[in-house]
Amino acid sequence: MRSRFFSFLLGGPKRLYALGLLSYLFFSGTLLLAQVPMTNAEATALRSKVKDQAKATRTISSDFIQHKHLDFLSNDIESKGTLAFKAPNIVKWEYTTPFSYAVLFKDEKLYINDNGSKSDMDLGSNKVFKQLNQLITASIRGDMFDDSAFEIRYFFEKENSLVHFMPKDQQFAAFIKAFHIRFNATGEVEAVKMIEPSDDYTQIVFSNRKQNQPIPDAVFSH
Amino acid sequence: MRFFLISLIFLVVGCGSYPKKHGFEKVEALKTSIQNPYFSDPSVDYVYKANIDVFDTSFGGILVLKKLGPAAHRIAFTTEMGNTLFDFSFSKDQFTVNRIVKDLDRKILINILRKDFTALIREENTILKQYQKNGESLTATAILGKKHFYWSKNGQLVQIARMGKGVPKVVFQFSQINDNIAHQIKMTHRNFKLTIALNAIID
Repeated sequence: MRSRFFSFLLGGPKRLYALGLLSYLFFSGTLLLAQVPMTNAEATALRSKVKDQAKATRTISSDFIQHKHLDFLSNDIESKGTLAFKAPNIVKWEYTTPFSYAVLFKDEKLYINDNGSKSDMDLGSNKVFKQLNQLITASIRGDMFDDSAFEIRYFFEKENSLVHFMPKDQQFAAFIKAFHIRFNATGEVEAVKMIEPSDDYTQIVFSNRKQNQPIPDAVFSH
Repeated sequence: MRFFLISLIFLVVGCGSYPKKHGFEKVEALKTSIQNPYFSDPSVDYVYKANIDVFDTSFGGILVLKKLGPAAHRIAFTTEMGNTLFDFSFSKDQFTVNRIVKDLDRKILINILRKDFTALIREENTILKQYQKNGESLTATAILGKKHFYWSKNGQLVQIARMGKGVPKVVFQFSQINDNIAHQIKMTHRNFKLTIALNAIID
């Protein structure tokens, strides 16, 4: 039956259909083929590995490169900086190139240092920012597997794992349509992609990650 | 009728006074149109770090401008962390809001941004009147039905002023100009506290 199917595709003038089918699979399917869905057991194993990793995480320091993709631009906007995290929920993003800008999430507040000009914002009053902070914290640690808040899909991508989180909260989904988080084989977050409703996205790739090394308090002062 | 006449007098006196106040003399324009070259290259992504001061609040972000066609531009504003706050399309006098976050979705704000950005990016404008003084020129033109003055020094556009009752209401200053890119732009509203400072982060 199978040989008859192939001979049907490849025989004589039908060869064009086969070429069409193959190129369709090649061009439209490469990304899908690279991402193999996990079975329930594999997803459960990933969740517990990442949760164990998150529980054991007291501090993280890392470099990052951010690419902001806007569909109408010729090139993505690239910025670089460092990330510092201290359990349970203090996070500092410090952009160093091409501009100097730091944002610190601490004690329910958002502190901004924009090239020396300092300001702060009370997160308690802003539901979206509060959620964003919780998400950033959770996504750095990898521990955001909350089925009540997200529709979650699990994939293998070569030796890494890729998890798609689609916010269920309408207000939040209007801001960010999906988070894609890539974990390495040991369950550490390697990259975070935030996709907007327009399909424009921000991708942050971490490198030079150091875990549980002491971070001076001065890093988290404002 | 009397009100109309008084308005007309004010308009004429008002319009005349700005060039005179700055020592310009009226001249015969040699061309029919004037160009703003700063957002005119479709191959360039014009990316700026923006600092906005409005009343007592300051915030920053990334302002992105792109020419997409003969008279078409797209302008988006994102946070430093990448979330898009607004995204507008401009085409001749057409204006489309592609996206704006709920907190900024106010008609009055969108109108201000529409008028300011149209003046900022409008590439070619009909010359209504022209004035000169040593190496500097002042050109009167209209954008969205409002009188604007283009101020050029040694052939380089350094300022656009939107006029209201004979005085500048909004001033756009261009500096650190290189290869038709203004690396610093300052937009100042004179009738209420709003300043937008742009610093280029173009490769």
